[in-house]
Amino acid sequence: MNLYEYEAKRIFAEGGINVPPSQRITKPEELAKVHLGYPLVLKCQVLAGGRGKAGGIKFPKNLKEGMALAKDMLQLSIKDSKTESLLVEPAMPIARELYLAVTLDRDRGCPIFIASAEGGIEIESSSNVLTEPIPNPYHPFVGRNLAQKLGLKGAVLNKVADIANKLYKIFESKDLDLAEINPLVITEGDDVVALDGKIIINDDAIDRQPQFRGWEEAHLCDLSVRERNAKMNGLNLVELDGNIGILCNGAGLTMATMDMVKAFGGQPGNFLDAGGGSDQKKTLAALELVNDNPNVDVILLNILGGITACDEVAGALVEFMKKYPERAMIVRLRGNNQDIAEKMLAQSGLKLYPDLEEAVKEAVSRSKAGSSKKPVAAGKA
Amino acid sequence: MILVDKHTKVIVQGITGKMGAAHTKRMIEYGTNIVGGVTPGKGGEKMHGAPVFDTVKQAVEATEATCSVIFVPPYLALDAGCEALDAGISLLVLITEGIPPLDTAKLVAQVKAKGAKLIGPNCPGIITPGQSLIGILPGTIFKSGPVGMVSKSGTLTYEIALALTESGLGQSTCVGTGGDPIKGLDYQECLTMFENDPATEVIVMIGEIGGNAEEEAAAFIKKTIKKPVIGFIAGQTAPPGKRMGHAGAIISGGKGTAESKLEAFKANGVRVAMTPAEVAKQVAEALKQPAKA
Repeated sequence: MNLYEYEAKRIFAEGGINVPPSQRITKPEELAKVHLGYPLVLKCQVLAGGRGKAGGIKFPKNLKEGMALAKDMLQLSIKDSKTESLLVEPAMPIARELYLAVTLDRDRGCPIFIASAEGGIEIESSSNVLTEPIPNPYHPFVGRNLAQKLGLKGAVLNKVADIANKLYKIFESKDLDLAEINPLVITEGDDVVALDGKIIINDDAIDRQPQFRGWEEAHLCDLSVRERNAKMNGLNLVELDGNIGILCNGAGLTMATMDMVKAFGGQPGNFLDAGGGSDQKKTLAALELVNDNPNVDVILLNILGGITACDEVAGALVEFMKKYPERAMIVRLRGNNQDIAEKMLAQSGLKLYPDLEEAVKEAVSRSKAGSSKKPVAAGKA
Repeated sequence: MILVDKHTKVIVQGITGKMGAAHTKRMIEYGTNIVGGVTPGKGGEKMHGAPVFDTVKQAVEATEATCSVIFVPPYLALDAGCEALDAGISLLVLITEGIPPLDTAKLVAQVKAKGAKLIGPNCPGIITPGQSLIGILPGTIFKSGPVGMVSKSGTLTYEIALALTESGLGQSTCVGTGGDPIKGLDYQECLTMFENDPATEVIVMIGEIGGNAEEEAAAFIKKTIKKPVIGFIAGQTAPPGKRMGHAGAIISGGKGTAESKLEAFKANGVRVAMTPAEVAKQVAEALKQPAKA
């Protein structure tokens, strides 16, 4: 879960990291109540990146200019992410900018510091980047080593080391995927301030972080309504542009099924992984989500039951077909309790495809025959 | 076979839970040597005939188990894994999905410090067909034979195993290493074990988008693996920036694409199959050819 900048900065401040004084506004006229002293900086609170380039950061010199800018900025959407509010801060006298982040390195299998003596940049495109594995248990000397490697000296070295240590503590205690300060600013008075920040909370850890419980809905802005529904029901849905709705159990099998659809000339309309052990109710919810996508002409269901029981899936299919008898369905159902499932579906007229390639080919050919909403009973065509 | 055989003594952590109990029954029916289980507070009970202990230490002392399959909830998995290591378990099979990666990182560090092995987390487990099934794999689709399999995926492994079995190609051992970004056993360790295993003649390696483990494994194969390797990658049609079910299956910053992995396979002598059925065809062909000198 991605947090807004103001939320990230609040967490930094709680952890003892210096952030600029700020106020947040949701209407242009609220700027009149801001007493931080001009020139100010106005920053759109969006969950997307690339904010500066998209016009999401402005520096008004007075209230009149500020209110005019705020009016436009509050309407701004950046990469489909709507501006939630504006964060207002006093503009800072900057001597130097650094980059500092903690994230998990999947190849090393441990958290790492990423740091650069050039801040405010896109870290992926910078060549001057340090990565330092973080030992477990943690010790504060790790922060000092990092500050020294950045070429810092004197009071600033100690201040940056302290911030690195605090950033790691936040990262670990809040179960984050990413804690990023970009830029970390050294002011003309040698203060070190987190001028912008990004926090991503690990999705699997949210339930043990009471502070973030219930935040998910407000932070899923990059998902479609159906994708959001899926997430709330414990299903993994990613919507695509094609017309073959795909429902499988297991991430790898779902991806492989999508790939085969494409390889045989079809267009996947979605990725839906119902996960392991889905029962009738969850499978039915998954079928409804695929069916609800107006682009989908054919549904391809591929279940290989390990912990998923085929009879539970068959129960969901029977219910689904009662409700949507005209929906074209290509079903391949194998594994655990397959025999019971076959008996349950015997009277439905639904043809079962034991072979995956045959099922995919049939789904592709149906998807090209135009809309399946024509009254063709599934499997009898 | 690698890692497990019919003599491997296995305990189940979380044996009285819904998942643990159901899969204990299936593992026993398959013939796995389940010698006991652990649920704190339920010591002295029995589950499908297996004795239940309060602690892993008691279970190991009473049964001499060397392997533990773990079915505990995500936030208890780090503790359960450390308890198993402390009791002297040398092979941990961690089925649980949804473990925060920082916990996994801590567990992996402990596993390394103890010289033990961890399969998973978020994995289907391991099977040496006809001998031992440890985890949640459906036993009936596997049969004994010369193909070693290592995979990040669960059901895709079953799909490919089914294609192999239906083509008359059995498996020596299949290891599901799991779909999380941070995990225990990796491709290189499994490939090395298969290379040294006399029962394995051909290796199937199943990967997916995300990270660069497949690229590194491909370079490793060129250097050290003489047995033929057939590679399969899931997620060629996955859009960038979207998590495809598995926590680790995401293309980010242009990295972790299927193309990059397939190119690495081709450049390093790994034979690429594009569908599960094609994996079986490639395996059959590889078995006809003599091994690299």
